[in-house]
Amino acid sequence: MPLLQARNVSKNFGGVQALKDVSLDLPESAVLGLIGPNGSGKSTLLNIIAGVEKPTSGIVKLDSKRIDNLRTNRIIRYGLAKTHQIPKPFSNMTARENVAVAVLYGRRNIHSPRPALEEADKILSMVRMGSRKDAPADSLTVQEKKRLELARAIATGASILLLDEVFAGLSPEELKDSIQLFKKLHDELHFSVLVVEHVMRAVLNISHKVMVLEEGRVIATGSPDEIVHDEKVIQAYLGSKNPAA
Amino acid sequence: MVAVELIVRDLAFGLMLGCVFSVVAHGLNIIWGVVKVVNIAHGEFIMLGAYGAYFLNLFAGMTPLETAPVDAIIGLLVGYAFYYAFLHRELHNKEMITLQSEMVTLAATFGLSLFISNLAIILFTGNPVGIIYNPGILQFGYLTVPLAALYVAILSVLIIAGTWLFLERTFIGSAIRAYAQDVTATELVGADPAKVASLATALGFAVTMAGGALLTVWVPVGINPLMGGLYAPISFVIVVLGGPGKMWGSLVGGLTLGIVIDLVQAFATAQVAYATAFLILIPVLVFRPKGILK
Amino acid sequence: MNLQKPGLTLYGLFIVMAFLATAALLLGVAVSSILVVLLIYAALAYSINFITGMIGYVDFGHVLFMAIGSYALATLVSYYGANPLLGVGAGAVLGLVFALGIGLVILRFRGVYFAIATVVLVLAAYNIVLQLPQLGTGGEIIFNRPLQPLAPYFTIWTVVMIEIILTYYVNRSRIGFGIRAIKSEEDAASSVGVSPQRLKLIGYMLGGLFGGAAGGVYSWSTSGVTAGPAFDFTFSLLMLAMIIIGGVGTSIGPLLGAVVVYIPSYFLLTSVAQAQPLIIGLLVIIMALFLPDGIVGLLRRSNERLRLVLE
Repeated sequence: MPLLQARNVSKNFGGVQALKDVSLDLPESAVLGLIGPNGSGKSTLLNIIAGVEKPTSGIVKLDSKRIDNLRTNRIIRYGLAKTHQIPKPFSNMTARENVAVAVLYGRRNIHSPRPALEEADKILSMVRMGSRKDAPADSLTVQEKKRLELARAIATGASILLLDEVFAGLSPEELKDSIQLFKKLHDELHFSVLVVEHVMRAVLNISHKVMVLEEGRVIATGSPDEIVHDEKVIQAYLGSKNPAA
Repeated sequence: MVAVELIVRDLAFGLMLGCVFSVVAHGLNIIWGVVKVVNIAHGEFIMLGAYGAYFLNLFAGMTPLETAPVDAIIGLLVGYAFYYAFLHRELHNKEMITLQSEMVTLAATFGLSLFISNLAIILFTGNPVGIIYNPGILQFGYLTVPLAALYVAILSVLIIAGTWLFLERTFIGSAIRAYAQDVTATELVGADPAKVASLATALGFAVTMAGGALLTVWVPVGINPLMGGLYAPISFVIVVLGGPGKMWGSLVGGLTLGIVIDLVQAFATAQVAYATAFLILIPVLVFRPKGILK
Repeated sequence: MNLQKPGLTLYGLFIVMAFLATAALLLGVAVSSILVVLLIYAALAYSINFITGMIGYVDFGHVLFMAIGSYALATLVSYYGANPLLGVGAGAVLGLVFALGIGLVILRFRGVYFAIATVVLVLAAYNIVLQLPQLGTGGEIIFNRPLQPLAPYFTIWTVVMIEIILTYYVNRSRIGFGIRAIKSEEDAASSVGVSPQRLKLIGYMLGGLFGGAAGGVYSWSTSGVTAGPAFDFTFSLLMLAMIIIGGVGTSIGPLLGAVVVYIPSYFLLTSVAQAQPLIIGLLVIIMALFLPDGIVGLLRRSNERLRLVLE
């Protein structure tokens, strides 16, 4: 029984059809990569699953419970958390306080600041940011802010993570680092992941399965290897105005 | 007078009043739309424009129509000063206005608003003054239209049209429009963001103060230091109704408000009319946060 | 809520409040009739601190709750001869209820739109009160009470004490984290499970509750209410000024701001009436532009030890 299911999700933004009839399944502990040219609807799909947007039609179910009509903070209670494409740290707090908010308001049942801060420290170490725990969030580098996004999502106690371009804008060294970190975390924590990416190297490396969107429609699904050789996918990228990096 | 005639008269007056409301709100619209800053002290500059008209009338015998350009020039200078005093630091290195800096400009302009109005009470005293300007009337059958109101309405529309032309047809105007959409894009067009923002602010203040001068025709005995407290909220409602940054939105919002106030005042007191006008804001914000104009 | 051991800040605030209480008891009417205004200012500052200082939603119209409280007490005492304490309670309850009703509608508006909506509501309320004969059609509602300045004094003293304790513990609790997150990035806060709708409403309702209580004591101490002064935006300016000067969102800030704003205005009472808002306005401009985190913020930034101690 797949953990997360989307069925026939469509989204219309006042005339622009961002998503057309998209369905997906995400089993437990699986990593599903979501790729496609710019404007293919990847982030929109993520936003709908996370409750930031409502689908024009179609449903999203988590463990057989409908979540497409719920607000984001309610969906957190069901164990689903999303990172932001452009990191949004709480700039009036330190890194550990940022993560502590997630611990306090996630589904961890930790309601006191002190234990929450301790838990935050643990999570920051896990994402290799232990040394920066007392740094003000707005003084972090881009990579650190992205790690912070990941830390916050994990801290909510989520078993399903929606990652929105976490590997973007990194140097080759940082990218290698981040991929390795991701794999280690996945081994330890076994969360299911839906990862939207432009960075091919990352997504093909970490995904069990990959789904390709073009102009709001699913045009291919398969293993990373199958996708790389899929005619339709290659066409979509070559034929589009903004081929992926 | 028959009911239909009363309605026609109310509509006519409402439209003329609405035109002046539009130009009074237009400066706020320009600044809000371009620099993304809401000047809480907006009403006080309307008031200063009105007093400018009063004093120029008192000492130089100038009519509000003649004062408007003078006030506009003063407004340009004041606008530049305002930009460099209040906005330059906040906007200088930032592309987006975060809530923190938004709070700062809100608080600072709120302080400015009360500072100026109370300074005005000390300097001008609280006694309301007025200008007598009556170039005559125009008679359309049963409809008596004061020429003063008509001239001022026409001039208001001309000012709004003029700013629209400026923004659409000149290079600087397009730089301002670029800035309104994306600050970094302005540099790509070859313009200096600070110069663009300061010019837009100056333009906004020029229109505001000119509007204050034209407004005096409708407040023949009501020019007082606290009048900003009435016209600022009216301006806010107008800009929200029309959509911040939409140049013709000022006219749409202004005419709507002018008609509503005039019509309601026919059946109820002025207070109720104004309360209604203000309360229109709430449903608009609930249902159409981007204003009436799509 | 986790009741950790309170820090120096809370003890410091208790000491100041104890001082204010003993001063009134020992020195009687002369002092308490002056200090009651200080405490009313402080109560107002703490009340706006909940919605504006902590959550970051600028409430220009906060004077509305003060007016509600003032009218509640004035009508109950003047028309029904009720005990003023009941009036204060009624003011608080009405403030809370109005805040709930209004908040449910306008708290969804962000930033400037919220601020303008609060202004619009005050203007609408003012115009409505002018129409209502039950509320004196804007004229005075006055009452005569035997001179008993200690009663309002200790009432408002109690209100401020409650506010101080509440502010202090909210800042240190789970709710405090949620509120600071909302203030910084409201959408990101939702994305980690915070419910901005709930917390914003709670903050606004606390503001209404205590604003109403303060308004009630205000009309008690001035023996009446009149529409014009009751809805005067100068009060909103004062409240904003106090928290900006003291330090928005902090526990000390509102009291500190009240002291800074009140002491000079007491001495200026004899000079031009307009001087007060003039100077306050100027102070707000300067603080907002150059020292947006207030005196407490400045002190915390200047010294590591102070940063740990001052809240």
